[in-house]
Order: sequence, then C-alpha cells, then structure tokens
Amino acid sequence: MKQVVVHPEYCLGCMQCMTACAIAHSQTHSLFYAVLEDPVPKSRIHVGAGLFGEGFPNRCRHCDPAPCMTACLSGAISRIPETNTVYIDPDKCINCASCSMVCPFGVIRYHKDISAISGKITAVKCDNCHERQIQGQIPACVEACKSNALTFEEPSEAMKRKTNKTACTMSSETMKIPAASGFDLLNAVKKVQAEIKTC
Amino acid sequence: MSKSYKEYTITSDGQLMLKKADSDQIETVWERYENQLPQCGYCEMGLSCRICNMGPCRIDPFGEGPQKGVCGADADIIVARNLGRMIAAGAAAHSDHGRDLVEVLADVAKGKAPGYSISDPVKLKKIAGEYEIETDGREIPAIAGDLAYAMMEDYGTRKKELTLVKRAPEKRREIWRKAGIMPRGIDRETSEMMHRTHMGVDNGWQSLLLHGMRNALSDGWGGSLIASEVSDILFGTPLPCANQVNIGVLKTDQVNIIVHGHNPVVSEMIFLACQDTDLINLAKLKGAKGINLAGLCCTGNELMARHGIPMAGNHLMTELVIATGAVEMMLVDYQCIMPSLGKTASCYHTKMISTSDKARFPGMEHREFHPENSQKMAQELVKEAVEQYENRGKVYIPVEPVQSLGGFSVEAVTGALGGTPEPLIEAIKAGKIRGAAGIVGCNNPKIKHDYGHVTLAQQLIKNDILVVVTGCAAIATAKAGLNAAEAIKYAGPGLKEICGALKIPPVLHMGSCVDNVRILILASALANALGTDISDLPIAGSAPEWYSEKAVAIATYFVASGVYTVLGPMPPITGSMNVIKLLTQGLDDITGASFAVEPDPEKAAILICRHIENKRKALGLDSRAL
Repeated sequence: MKQVVVHPEYCLGCMQCMTACAIAHSQTHSLFYAVLEDPVPKSRIHVGAGLFGEGFPNRCRHCDPAPCMTACLSGAISRIPETNTVYIDPDKCINCASCSMVCPFGVIRYHKDISAISGKITAVKCDNCHERQIQGQIPACVEACKSNALTFEEPSEAMKRKTNKTACTMSSETMKIPAASGFDLLNAVKKVQAEIKTC
Repeated sequence: MSKSYKEYTITSDGQLMLKKADSDQIETVWERYENQLPQCGYCEMGLSCRICNMGPCRIDPFGEGPQKGVCGADADIIVARNLGRMIAAGAAAHSDHGRDLVEVLADVAKGKAPGYSISDPVKLKKIAGEYEIETDGREIPAIAGDLAYAMMEDYGTRKKELTLVKRAPEKRREIWRKAGIMPRGIDRETSEMMHRTHMGVDNGWQSLLLHGMRNALSDGWGGSLIASEVSDILFGTPLPCANQVNIGVLKTDQVNIIVHGHNPVVSEMIFLACQDTDLINLAKLKGAKGINLAGLCCTGNELMARHGIPMAGNHLMTELVIATGAVEMMLVDYQCIMPSLGKTASCYHTKMISTSDKARFPGMEHREFHPENSQKMAQELVKEAVEQYENRGKVYIPVEPVQSLGGFSVEAVTGALGGTPEPLIEAIKAGKIRGAAGIVGCNNPKIKHDYGHVTLAQQLIKNDILVVVTGCAAIATAKAGLNAAEAIKYAGPGLKEICGALKIPPVLHMGSCVDNVRILILASALANALGTDISDLPIAGSAPEWYSEKAVAIATYFVASGVYTVLGPMPPITGSMNVIKLLTQGLDDITGASFAVEPDPEKAAILICRHIENKRKALGLDSRAL
C-alpha cells in the first residue's frame, strides 16, 4: 500500500505542504477563499526548524501500534485499513489531550475544524487525505512538494532507494555525488552563521 | 525569548535593552526572525520566480522535480534574473535618494528652499567644473542651478558615459567599455534591468549578470556619488569631529529626538531647529535641561560626520532605542526603517513621524517635508517633541556612551595626510600599512549583531590593515571603541605607528552607506597616484552583516570597480553553481576582482589578508606569508 514517506534531507523549508494541507482540509478547497472561512483551516503537517534553520516536515507517522489510539479514552481513534490511516473521529473526541501527551512526534493539535460539529474544539491531525485518496488523488502535501521531501509510494520502494543511497556513502570518496552542491553550500553557510552566534 | 541575549548581540547596550524589551513585552526583529524559521529554501537559493503570472515557479535543486519554470527558464536564468532585480532595487534606492538632494540643490538655486544653503561653495565649483559648467565670475546660485540641471541629465542622459566616471582610473574605464558595462544613465540602467528581467527578454544568465554590474556602476559612479557630493555641497564636507555612540547618548534630563533613515534633507533641518533658542527655552520651561538630538542608521551617520551629533545605534538597535522610554520623538525618512517601529512606540510616549512623500509606516503620523516647508515643519515638530517631554514615563538608559571620531571624507583623509595621498602610499610601500579594507553594510539577525563588523575590523587592524567604515558597520565599530584614536592599541605595530603619528583612529568613519562612494574615490586617487588600476591595489571590501538590496548594489559596484569583496551572509544565488562560479571566479577575468562569501569574520579576515598580501606581491612589494 502506498504511504507518504518523508525524506528530510530534501526539505527546503518552503512550507508549501502546510498551505496545501490547510486548503485540502477547508470547505472551499481554494487558496483564495479558504483564508476567509470560519474556522480558518489549519495545516496538519508542521514544518519545523532544525539547528541551523533547515526545514523538517513533521507529519503523523500513523504508527502501528499507535500510542494515541491506545491512550484514547473515548474510543475516538481507530485505524482505517484501506489507507492505513490512524483516524480521529471528531464526534467521539472529548478533547482530553491524552493522545497528544503520548504522541512521540507532537503532531496532534486542538482547534476548531470543519470536520467537527460547529464550534467544537477537537483533536486534529493528519488523516492521510483519506477523502482525496478515495477520489484517486494523492495526499495534498505530497502533491505540493516539488523537491521530493514528501513522496507517496510503496514503503519498500523508498527503503530500497535509501539502502542504495546508504550503500553509495560506502563508495570511495571520489565517487560521492552531493545531492545538490548549491543546497549543501547554503546549509554550510547557515551552519557557520549559527555557530558564530555562540562565540 | 528563550535564548541568551548574548547570542543575539555582542553589544552590552543591546543585551540589556533586549532584557528590558522582553519584560515590556516588546517584539523584536530577532523574535520575528525566529518565527520565520525555517525560511523557504527555494527563495534562499534564488530558485523561486514570481516575475510573471504563468508562475510563480520554482526549480527543484535536487534535480528530480521541475527543472524549468513555466516559461522554460532554468535555474541559471532564474537566479540571475532575481539577483539582477535585487541590484536594480538597490541602485534605485540610493539613486533616488541622490535625486532628492539634487532637487533641493535646484530649489536652493531658485531661492525656494528657506533654511537650506550652499555650505561648501568650493566643492560646488569643483564639481561644476567636472560637469564643464562655467564658474568664473558667476553667482553661486546660478552655478548651483546649472549643476542641478546637469546632474538631473545624468539620471536620464542620452550620453554614452556618466559624467563622474571620469574620476575612475583610465584603465578601469577601458575595462568597463570593453566589457560593455560602462554606465550610461542612472535611471536607464535600472530601467533596462527591469526590462531585461521581464519574461522573454534577456535569458543569458551571463549577460544578465554583466548588466547587473552596469546597473550597480550607475549607482556607485552615479546616483550614490551624486547623493554624497550634493550632500557635501548643501551641508558641508565632513571633517573629523568627536562624537559619542550607543544607547547611552540618550539623556535622562533632556528632550531626546531621534532622526532615523538616510537622507540628510530632513535631519539637517531638525538639527537646525534643535538649536533654536526659543525651543530650548521651551524645553527648560517643561523641566528639561535642553534638547538632545541623536541619530540612528545612516541619516545619523550624515549628521555625525558633519556636526558630531551623537549616534544611538544601528539597524538592529532601532526598536530597542524606543524601548528606553526616553525618546520624545523619532522622525524617519526612508530606507531600513522597520515597519514595526510604530507598534513599538505605541507602548511608550514616543511620537513617530514619517516625513517623506514616498514612505509611510503604520502607527506613524505623516508630516511631509518639502524643500519649501522644511524649515517651518522642523520647528513645529521639534516644538511638539518638547511638549511630549511631560508625558514621559520611566526611562531606562543602561550604559555610558563610547567616544568616537567621525567625518573622514576623502578631503579629510588627504587633509590628515598633509594634502596628498603620498604619505599613505609611502606607508603601504614600506609595508607598515599592508593595505586597506572597507567594512560596510547592514546588520542582519542571521549574524550575531555587530559580531561580524567588530571581529573583522579587530582582526584586520591587528594585521596592519587600515580599515574604513560606513553605514551600520561604522556604528558597530564606533560602539566597540575602534573609531577612536586610542584604538591604535589594538592595531599591529606598523598601523599603530602611522595612525599614532597622524593622530587618526585605525578605523576611519567615512559616513553613511551612500558614502561608500568615498571609498571608491579614495581608491581611485591611490590608483591614479600610482599610475595603476584599482584592482592592482592591496585593498578589499566586506559586508559582514549585510541584508539589504542596496548592499547587493554596493558590493557589485565594488567588484565591478576592481575591489575584491567578501560577503557575510550568502546571497540568494546557491541555486546556480554557474552563477556562483562566475561571481567568485569568472569575474576576475573581466573586472580583476570577484566576490567571496564567508559568514565567519575571523575566516573572512584571513581571506582579506591573503588577498592584500597577494596584491602586494604583484606590485613588487614585500609580502607576508599567511
């Protein structure tokens, strides 16, 4: 089954996945109108900043077994087998925060959402764009990512690529090819900028 | 803010004021920077293009995603177009500043600018001569009128070359002609850059970058140079004068007025109004001991260089200065004024006044200055500032000011040398002074505040390199005590001896950021005296904490003029290794100079020392191994 795979080394920190996620979870599905909605749609993927200001797309891993599911007191969290999605039912959610306390990745937020009855604050997190997938679309964050930091593929495919990439790092020094020289250069500069702050 | 304030700034006034701002719940530039992280990598690499509406587009630097914009532009073209537009914006900013001064000059000539005058008629006549304007037996206003007209012509000229490029060494001009980058008109080159970068025009990344240099030269040898020279004509050519710097220049028992921005047109009138006896008496009536005028950023540099007006701080200090609660009024004109200032001031009694017809800011009262009303407007505003003194709450001015020396125009430097650049050349030949370096440019929260400027200056003077500074860099070194004669104790033995004998600091304050042209003129004078080109001299430039588009234009005209230039923060060009290679190596073959990027000032100092020693070797002078 295809899954969203995160490749942090390719993340440019542009946050376009966040915008796409919010729009995918809006009423109007339009960038221009979504910002006028009430509640304003919020992203379920969160791009954080690393030690040198580099980006990282933090997204629900849909763990199995999922700690949030185990911790949920009201039975609001279940797994949708077709898309392997850990799903929060907003109607059953009692907003107790147990799930976010046990989430190792901090991807569960609490706010109003169009999926819940009007005005109810509920636990909200990535739903793997379940609705979109049923309609034959790929998750919105993946669609928005132009640098392949997020891919939608068979995990075995991604693992094979990663294995080969790791194998390449074992090749002799002269054979190593940087992912993108300019990006490495930019990160080297950002690293120095961060380091001299502690001088 | 969770981090230690020491990670934000090396300045003690900055660290103490950050603590105060924190307890007052004032949001600062550092906080907003952290809220922006991670910054968009496409934009950081110059790989996003918003030029046309088939886009916006971006190129995947890893090669798997899109490699071309909708129009077909690849990474090289997109990076070059973006950089070109940065240069155009920077050149436009400086040059438009220059135009405002020329308009004042024209109004002075017509007698329509009460309060303004020709303060340096000698310089007026000298420059009029360069413009081939008859000066013998003519009245000053008539010459001024003709000069203003001729300078306006330089903006939209039909000539093949700008008038003042004649000051560059002949060899240099020949390089520009040969490369096709001789600046023709000040507005023309900016306008042409906007044209070339329009979709479907210049898609040669090399030719775009070449035009970038031409555009930058139109600023360095045109707009900025006119700005600097006309400021001297109107307000006086700077001479070394003592002053004080840092937030400690604010006075607990006086009305504090701050001028912030760039153009001396407004600040000079405020300066005059602050001397008005009636207004000073009014201040006394309100319980203050007097009126204290202080500067921020470049308009502060302009006043500091000409009148010894104290300097409260540089770019990143502007919010913190307001947070002292001691500022009755801040007047701003344009450039580098954070739109956040009005909000900061709303937490205190500080009145914020915007003064330029082309610059408005939220939370500020707009009181427009024009040559015909400036004098009156300045009087009114200073009066309002004095009246504001009564509304002052608690103030916090945590440090004592530092002494510094400012106002080293080219005329002042040659004056200090006894009238000719010869003693400086002799000291360089003898190896006592290894060479000279300009440290210029801004502050940027990406670099610890003032760390880049101060560390680099310290390292260079330690290695017997004379340092000249402008803009926010000049304020940084002044606050660190390097712009004072006593700072020779930090200099290497040779530089210490020469500066000691001349009674000058090892770090010379040459003015504001348009005054970077003074560095070019000094370099040209040295090159001409040696019968060589600027690129042969043991000199270098650096912008350790740059942020603005103006800095991109400045750095580019430095390199195009033959000065090796080291940038601190990386410009948004890493999306194209071709562009990087051309800027850091390829330009050597065209202009005899290139760029380097090194955010660590200690390493930047090594690059500059090495460059200077190499140039010395090429000139047949002794050269130290590094």
